[in-house]
Amino acid sequence: MQKLNKGEKTALEKIAVQNRKNVLRLMRAGRTGHIGGALSAIDIMTALYFEIMRVDPQKPDWPQRDRFVLSAGHKCLALYATLAEKGFFDSAILDTYGALCSKLGGHPDMHKVPGVETNTGALGHGLSIAGGMAMGLKMDGLDAKVYVIMGDGELAEGSNWEGAAAASHHKLDNLLVFVDRNHLQISGPTVDVMNYEPLDKRWQAFGWSVREIDGHDLTQIVAHATDIPFEKSKPSVIIADTVKSKGLSFAENKVDYHYWKATDEDLEIAERELDEIEERIS
Amino acid sequence: MDDLRDPRKTLGEALVAAAGKNKKIVAISTDSSSGSGLTPFRERFPERHIEFGIMEQGAIGFSAGLATTGKIPFVVAIAPFVTARPFEMFRNDLGYMRQNVKVVGRCAGLTYSDLGATHQSLDDIAIIRTIPGVTVINPGDPIDIIKAVHAAAAHVGPVYIKLGSPKMPVLMDANYPFQIGKGVVMQAGNDITIIATGTLLSKAAEATRILKEKGINPRLINMHTIKPLDRELVLKAAAETGKIVTVEEGYLAGGLGSCIAELIATEYPVPLKMIGIDDLFCDTGPYEELLAQYGLQGDQIADTVEEFLG
Repeated sequence: MQKLNKGEKTALEKIAVQNRKNVLRLMRAGRTGHIGGALSAIDIMTALYFEIMRVDPQKPDWPQRDRFVLSAGHKCLALYATLAEKGFFDSAILDTYGALCSKLGGHPDMHKVPGVETNTGALGHGLSIAGGMAMGLKMDGLDAKVYVIMGDGELAEGSNWEGAAAASHHKLDNLLVFVDRNHLQISGPTVDVMNYEPLDKRWQAFGWSVREIDGHDLTQIVAHATDIPFEKSKPSVIIADTVKSKGLSFAENKVDYHYWKATDEDLEIAERELDEIEERIS
Repeated sequence: MDDLRDPRKTLGEALVAAAGKNKKIVAISTDSSSGSGLTPFRERFPERHIEFGIMEQGAIGFSAGLATTGKIPFVVAIAPFVTARPFEMFRNDLGYMRQNVKVVGRCAGLTYSDLGATHQSLDDIAIIRTIPGVTVINPGDPIDIIKAVHAAAAHVGPVYIKLGSPKMPVLMDANYPFQIGKGVVMQAGNDITIIATGTLLSKAAEATRILKEKGINPRLINMHTIKPLDRELVLKAAAETGKIVTVEEGYLAGGLGSCIAELIATEYPVPLKMIGIDDLFCDTGPYEELLAQYGLQGDQIADTVEEFLG
């Protein structure tokens, strides 16, 4: 379990703000996107890429690398923002989002974007793919780990529970799932649209070791994600409570910002808010 | 006497041979390893045989993930359950992600003649061939099965192999040069061309014999690869014989006949007769009798060809 000291925490918080700014840069370019889920998951992605995962932006195909699977592919603005910040590709590419034939589409494409490991978008695919990665790494005797972010609305897809069952059956303790529990999906509160509670017991019943954290507390994210497996021979899941559109006060916890069509005025307000957050950290 | 061989046993033996040469090959089962002919593989390479239970969507997704680490998974299961059921996983995780996974749908076509439409797989070719970059192979005899397994293992990219279950006669020479995407002229002739695939190749061969006895000389083509289609061979046949009949154990909509129709309609229009299953869920009963119910026996194919020739 890795404990961030104050300086490390501040540094990581600054990167998280910069990643949010990168998301706005994408929105400046493309004007539309799944902002709500991107900003609920971006602190987890920031912690993964800047503190937790063993990756080398210069060698995106390095066999010993840790893998990241964005099962909820629509949160890709956060992934693009983070990968660019980490140096997987030139940040100028962020300005092409939304343009014809841009490498950065509305869902990620592994063949177009260095650092993207899977083509996701249709929900309920990522966990099984990640399970296969974890299995293959174990078969090869590699100690690399596989990290997944799923949405809470996504959990209604039955295919996830096939993946969950198989991962525990095959004892894939090199696998960590974050459930980005932002409590909202496009039609409303997630538990009203399709109830998944009790979520912790559901994962436990499938043979997973479960912890619950604040998904915007970078110290908690790093501490728990570096402590896997939570139990030997079991896959781990972190249920991360998050806020949809976190960081943009006018959009937080509002289902209307699941998919945002941003105006110039919206973006100016958003950029000012992030500047203020950045100043507070400094 | 025909040399009859069990296609699933043949598959299993071929896979053991391929896996002996290539350590990256792993076998994926969904509660059907013995029924899929994988018992010898499981015994020989227990650490490379992975069981998923009745979980085809998960098994396809896991296979994609395994392939990203360099493994070459062969997923072998009852055909509709690895094609129609996990179609989106096949399309996105294997096709769109271009993963090096081989899916073998066994007991396809009307094999499960007694179990009914849930288990009969007549749409697999039609739906899987819509996925960009997926190779679709439908071996016509046990030799084709062996060669298809080795060719699929060597080919980089997703492959679907459709297999039946009833014993198949050996029709091809064991040393013939099988090549993905290249059909084989089994019988020269210029009166008409019969293009057959998969389990019905032997019925088409029987029809060819009957027709020859009547003085009709069909060209018989074993089209073991549906995608990529051997366009050159088909267009040559259209030009040289003027009429084409297609024969397959699957739906006419989207199957081999459709592939040929799409090609010749735009490139070299000639009269075409498509023999297969029309727009219906099939009845149940003994396999050979069920084939006869839908006009798929050799003598029936011969009659259809003769009538088509006029």
